[in-house]
Amino acid sequence: MLRLSTIALLLAGLGACAVEGGGYDGDVGVGLGVGYVGDYYEPGGYDYGGWGPGYRVGPPRCCGHGSGGRGRPAPSIPSHARSGGGHGGGGHGGGEHGGGGGHR
Amino acid sequence: MNKYLAGTLCTLALLSTGIVTGAPAAGIELPPLSEPASSETHPGKVIWADLVTPDLGKAKDFYGGLFGWSFQQAEGDKNFAVALLDGRPVAGLLQRPLAADRKHQTAWLTFIAVRDVAAAERSVKANGGKVLSAPKDYPMRGRQAVFADPDGAVFAVLASSSGDPPDMLADPGEWIWSSVLVKNPDREAGFYRALFGYEVFDQDSDDTSRHVILASDDYARAGLHSLPDGSAHRHPHWLNFVRVEDVGAAVAKAVKLGGKILVDPRLDRQGGQLAVVADPSGAPVGLMEWTDTEDESGASGAMTPGTPQVPGASPPATGTPPAGSP
Repeated sequence: MLRLSTIALLLAGLGACAVEGGGYDGDVGVGLGVGYVGDYYEPGGYDYGGWGPGYRVGPPRCCGHGSGGRGRPAPSIPSHARSGGGHGGGGHGGGEHGGGGGHR
Repeated sequence: MNKYLAGTLCTLALLSTGIVTGAPAAGIELPPLSEPASSETHPGKVIWADLVTPDLGKAKDFYGGLFGWSFQQAEGDKNFAVALLDGRPVAGLLQRPLAADRKHQTAWLTFIAVRDVAAAERSVKANGGKVLSAPKDYPMRGRQAVFADPDGAVFAVLASSSGDPPDMLADPGEWIWSSVLVKNPDREAGFYRALFGYEVFDQDSDDTSRHVILASDDYARAGLHSLPDGSAHRHPHWLNFVRVEDVGAAVAKAVKLGGKILVDPRLDRQGGQLAVVADPSGAPVGLMEWTDTEDESGASGAMTPGTPQVPGASPPATGTPPAGSP
């Protein structure tokens, strides 16, 4: 009997959570509810048609050495190679850090 | 049931199951982002990506064959694999069932660095976004949460407990660039500026679309683009690019491995080719060349000067510094 009441309390509590919100919103993704924070599938509707010749999504190759102030060009991505090979391209005024592996 | 009682029952239920916001998440053990740990923090930088897929085996074959990734099963979940490049963790792949209703699709989830996940959550709520997954702690990894921006594009934030990876040029096989495709670029730029403290650079455009660069630490971190004309029904989303040496060859290999071409190879702003393919489960992934020299055809930053702007952006509604700020 005690066990049944515990289960009932648990179910009621979970139901209350659903009513009160929280978790994923069906409009923007589907939470799979298995515990990991990234568990979701995106809504359908991805369509890559319509990328005309002028539709550019890549990063800029900046010639600027950023020193702040308005009117300067957009900076580029980091240019310092992990191997220390000194890739050109995004010339940059910001400090580039050495160190261990990881991501860009 | 009144609201108070409902809340109490909810709390009791969550306590009984161990699912409490902010509590360490049991189960998956993820590798640290930086090893050895560092004190570097780069708010606004894309530092990780997870793929949720219905077939982990197929995903491993595809990405392993395309980018040279190897895989290691994560501790605590046999359906979670960590992708490695030269021994460095580069991505997570998670197998979960996908309903056959065609209403949803697989996708890569983009993780962006913050210093304070709680502050990020407040900024998201204050500026029109939604919290999809409340902050959780993961041993060795840090604290992360999943949000949707005002247009509905889904992304995650991560406060890495081992520091953020250093700013270096991605090697082939690593993530090199990210874009977010949206319906309302002005509002979206304001949202991300408030959240990550980005500088926003407007880019000249050869079409009617709006293109801006989001930058932090004086580095370009992502591009924000209005969805192409005629795509009002399309869903806003983040798209990540992996550096490859030859986009044409990579696209051919992707098709051979069961992928599909979404955007054919094309010369782009960075002076090299890029393309978008879908993996065998349909998740889009970008392929991008980054060469050592400027392209002389003019498809480089020289033709796209930008001016720092905050298009249509209102100041952070919270009146507080962005989540990435110290």
